[in-house]
Amino acid sequence: MDVLILASECDPATEIICAPENVIELFEFKEALFSIGPLDFTRTVVLTFFAMFIVLALFYFGFRRARVVPTKFGVAMESVVSFVRDDLAKGTIGPEGSRYTPYLLSIFMFILVANLFELTPGINFPLTSRMAIPLMLAIFTWLIFVIVGFTKNGLHYLFDIVWPKSVPLALRWLVGLIEFVSVFLLRPITLAVRLFANLVAGHLMLTLLLGSGWVFFAAVGDIGVRSVIGLPWFLFGLGIFVFEFVVAVLQAYIFTLLSAVYIQTSVHPEH
Amino acid sequence: MEEIKGAIALIGYGLAAIGPGIGIGIVVGNAIQAMARQPEAAGMARTTMFLGIAFTEALALIGFVLFFIA
Repeated sequence: MDVLILASECDPATEIICAPENVIELFEFKEALFSIGPLDFTRTVVLTFFAMFIVLALFYFGFRRARVVPTKFGVAMESVVSFVRDDLAKGTIGPEGSRYTPYLLSIFMFILVANLFELTPGINFPLTSRMAIPLMLAIFTWLIFVIVGFTKNGLHYLFDIVWPKSVPLALRWLVGLIEFVSVFLLRPITLAVRLFANLVAGHLMLTLLLGSGWVFFAAVGDIGVRSVIGLPWFLFGLGIFVFEFVVAVLQAYIFTLLSAVYIQTSVHPEH
Repeated sequence: MEEIKGAIALIGYGLAAIGPGIGIGIVVGNAIQAMARQPEAAGMARTTMFLGIAFTEALALIGFVLFFIA
């Protein structure tokens, strides 16, 4: 939809230069679609609820009735669950990792659906390209690994980080400071920024390629020349669609994997 | 000399992409080598490879975001 808005705002009678005034326009939807009391529901908020309902519906219809021979859809959902439980939770955290499976599975499915909105025709907007959503998910992960670290190891969790015994005494304060900053500040920030920046880059790339293809088709001039320029852009944009599908799945996987790794460092701090 | 126009942030992004580009090359190259030498450990090598890529790539992406912020 963004592509069409971008192209329709161009004036094809003049020159073929039609970038939005500010790149943020592609990501910000200020007008409220509807309001309930003082709460305005913009497109982003509506899509967030939509993603939540999609995840709920997937699990509800996948596991509605436990069968001896599950349906095809049930098998697909079961393979997702067993992938997150066995590969991510138990494979990274260890035997006690199954405790964290519900959290990891929820964020994996939510990020996957939110990322794939980028490629869904009619929506074409990755939810995770708004910093609020990856940052909130990263803060959840941060809270979990900090709380687990303190409940499992007490204050030793903090002391082991700021005063590492295995480092020579002369360097210990410096290593401790770097470790403290990297564990408590940089971990959630990089976790959020990685997801955010990947999806922003993908959305911009798709918008630019498909939009410029459209603009060349809509511009004035000889149709032969225009299609020679516009068609490759358009096909290249469609190729990027496949690439962005891989990126969307991979980023959901990496976010969940890193969450599991961070929780693992709190469960077994000595490793 | 002609006046140079454009955003200096763009050069910043280009510089930020050099290191991670080399780094991801090293990570993936060594992961492929590990998988080729020990195919039974390919799953573990792949997981660790993605982890390494994610850590390395973050620097380039921070540069990319700073390009838009600056």
